[in-house]
Amino acid sequence: MTTPVTTPEAAERFAALTEKEPLGEYNYTHFRTKHLLQDAQRTIQKQGILPGEIAPDFELPRAGGGSLRLSDLRGKPALVHFGSFT
Amino acid sequence: MQFVDVMVRQAHPGPAEPAYATFEEKREDAETYQREEGISWPVLVDDLEGTVHQVYSGLADPSYLIDADGRVAYYNMWTYSPVLHQAIEALLAQGGRGVVLGEGIDQTPHLMPSMTDGWKGLRRGLPQSFVDMETAAPTSATMMWLGHQLRPLLAPLTLREKPLPASAKIVIGGMVVAAAALVLRSRRGQASG
Repeated sequence: MTTPVTTPEAAERFAALTEKEPLGEYNYTHFRTKHLLQDAQRTIQKQGILPGEIAPDFELPRAGGGSLRLSDLRGKPALVHFGSFT
Repeated sequence: MQFVDVMVRQAHPGPAEPAYATFEEKREDAETYQREEGISWPVLVDDLEGTVHQVYSGLADPSYLIDADGRVAYYNMWTYSPVLHQAIEALLAQGGRGVVLGEGIDQTPHLMPSMTDGWKGLRRGLPQSFVDMETAAPTSATMMWLGHQLRPLLAPLTLREKPLPASAKIVIGGMVVAAAALVLRSRRGQASG
């Protein structure tokens, strides 16, 4: 089984998150009202990486093979979008 | 410009698309997603814990425009193409570096794109995804189904890539005012008649 690759930077940022969800809660089996409320709260609190900040580096496997490291894209602008299959 | 997609957890799981038990399942979905949506840029697969996703907010559908130095130039918390289009143009115009469009953040919960296009995702988790969505936010799943049926009508407005030109805003504004005036007139007519 292939395991994802993350950089120490992403792993450290993850470990430092105060409101991170454990696996069972993050990888939920039912969509609930609390997920909507959580997103509303995160939006109001501007959670995430704010404008002007260095985007924490990560390296992840690519669909179709290989992997991509964010910092390899330096030198030109990039658009990173997060989304779900469902 | 380099576009990158990152595949996150199942947002609306169901019997055919349950919460990921293995990374391989997630990778397979990323491959299907890339193929079905005809995506030409890289689709990356986050780990099961959502390490990268959670560091980058854990929101359902955020986008980050990252400048040539690796800094966030614009943070679109609820992905909305017309806003991103403006942000990308502004970033290219200033040489690919720096924060763009004022404070560089859009917190508006843009719901119209998911109301028009969200059914594609919800459909993969049927019937549980529909029941869960209606329970979480009554009528929202029905609205997504309706939005899908009306997609040809709505898409030019709700899924447009670019901001509306000023002339189109004036036309739409005029139509809203005219509709309001008609409603008021008919009410007055009823009151006096």
